[in-house]
Amino acid sequence: MSDLFVALTPANLFACFLGAVLGTIVGVLPGLGPAGAMALVLPLTIKLGPTAGLIMLAGIYYGAMYGGSTTSILVNVPGEAASVVTTIDGYRMARRGRAGAALAIAAIASFVAGTFSVVALQVAAPLVARAALAFGPAEYFAFALLGVVLLANLTGGSRAKSFAMVVVGVMLSTVGMDPLGGSVRFTLGVGGAEAGFSFIAVTAGLFGVAEVLTTMAEPGSVVAAARVKFRELYPNREELRRAVPAMLRGTVLGFFVGLVPGPAATLASFVSYGVERKVSKYRHELGTGAIEGVAGPEAANNAAAGGGMIPLLSLGLPFTPSTAVLLSGMLLMSVTPGPFLLRDHPQVFWGVIGSFYVGNIMLLLLNLPLVGLFARVATIPPRYLMPGVLVLCVVAAYSDNNNLFDVWVLMAAGIAGYLMRALGWNPAPLVLGLVLGPLLERSLLQALTIGRGDVRELWASAAAAVMLAAAVVVFAFPIARVAGRRRPRGA
Amino acid sequence: MGRDRGSALGLAVFAVVYLLADRRYPLDTLSTPGPGLFPLLAGLALLALAGWQFAIPDRRPDHAPAAVREPSSARAPLAMAGVLVIYAALLPVVGFMPGSFALVVVSARLMGLRRWWAAATLALGVVLASRVVFVTWLGVPLP
Repeated sequence: MSDLFVALTPANLFACFLGAVLGTIVGVLPGLGPAGAMALVLPLTIKLGPTAGLIMLAGIYYGAMYGGSTTSILVNVPGEAASVVTTIDGYRMARRGRAGAALAIAAIASFVAGTFSVVALQVAAPLVARAALAFGPAEYFAFALLGVVLLANLTGGSRAKSFAMVVVGVMLSTVGMDPLGGSVRFTLGVGGAEAGFSFIAVTAGLFGVAEVLTTMAEPGSVVAAARVKFRELYPNREELRRAVPAMLRGTVLGFFVGLVPGPAATLASFVSYGVERKVSKYRHELGTGAIEGVAGPEAANNAAAGGGMIPLLSLGLPFTPSTAVLLSGMLLMSVTPGPFLLRDHPQVFWGVIGSFYVGNIMLLLLNLPLVGLFARVATIPPRYLMPGVLVLCVVAAYSDNNNLFDVWVLMAAGIAGYLMRALGWNPAPLVLGLVLGPLLERSLLQALTIGRGDVRELWASAAAAVMLAAAVVVFAFPIARVAGRRRPRGA
Repeated sequence: MGRDRGSALGLAVFAVVYLLADRRYPLDTLSTPGPGLFPLLAGLALLALAGWQFAIPDRRPDHAPAAVREPSSARAPLAMAGVLVIYAALLPVVGFMPGSFALVVVSARLMGLRRWWAAATLALGVVLASRVVFVTWLGVPLP
């Protein structure tokens, strides 16, 4: 526990500050998103060392959640998907002259939820990690499979498309060395492909280069941001009184949604808004500029970001693109997340958790007085920003393995990502498939070997059986429901 | 054939090519699984999912950005895609600095930066900044 104070060393404080600022800017800018930004700065964080590097990456992750609300409220442009709901009431509050109050409530809700989720993470992560020590290959396989199935059900689009994207990611993960025997597969004799597809190159391509290409296809006009004076940043007593219950509901709800695989932060903000529409005393005002519509969703998306760290730190399983980049960063820094993280790297584990506390305070202090400045970032025309993003993508991809093959992978992933968006395919499940692929393959083959070829080994333990049964139910239920609806009446 | 069915067909072709390539790797037995087993399962899963998508295409409203669907607005990204391929091919020959300078100039122009000198100044700033931060400060070797 004393390792929590590792976060207070000057180097780690600086890394936390840098990550929080970068994250806020990424959250403010529509498009790139935290996962892409984290992939772009990976080369820089590796140079900082494991603790400071991961603190910086984590800072970007939760900083983006804070920043996303600023442009939602001031210019009706959500910086990232988790802030879409905030535009509904936040922008209407701004048009009524209550932009300052909405921004302050969003920052306070983010702080309260972020702090709650860190406390819960601090308590729950070691417990989950201890329980996971009993996990063998069959349990890991079942849990990863359940995660993949849940993810495909929750990404919002077609389930078949989401599943297909996960499987494509898994197939791409088989390129290169196989995780058990060491045979080289699917390289087609191309030099540099033996190491497999670089996760950074694929992520930077799918999110960074594809964003540049998409921006070129939609040359939007520059948005105008409302000016907010510092003295206007105080919500009145009535607004505070109404915001607190929504904030608390959003916090608890968001944390639990964060544990579920999928776009947790986005989902949490939508669920929180739905809950407010059902239970709030002022539900009839939602949609017209009600403070509950800002406090609930903003608390929920920040709490979900903390909740999503539990499966990553305790089990080594990332269920969102951002935590997948964090996992990749950890592996590059020779830190393996999972049940042994706390034993092998206590300074990294507690240092990152400690930085969440510090980061939340920094973000509150940064976001209250500097909202006007951050909102102006959103008004920079893309023609000045996007060419720089392209060069950063190239640096990030190349520096992963100092390999030109990865630059080709970056370009191919960028063009593929653009086409996917154009055809309505979400690339996020592909990224997770790419990360979970080796784990799925290794645990499946190990379980089969342990069971001497008996597939019943996969559900021999109660935990694995329950998780596999849940995966089957989650997979089959929507199909059965659709089939039931199509059956003619009386048949 | 709709776009969903077309992309499902594309995925099915990808799965078949992948499965054909997987024939080079041994499956061995279930007790000592070979390197070909897991890719076989993944390839078959994609084939089944492509079939599912082909049979029941997504009927929900299209989430694709409207501008991407306009053939005229797809011209700039298509041109940029070509530029990216040329950049990747020339990178080992011309090196990072001159190659990236040209990439920024061309991409800024394609994004609507009309003045050549502004695009060149932007490119110089981006290339010099990345050189100072990544090569000089962080020691990242660039091509």
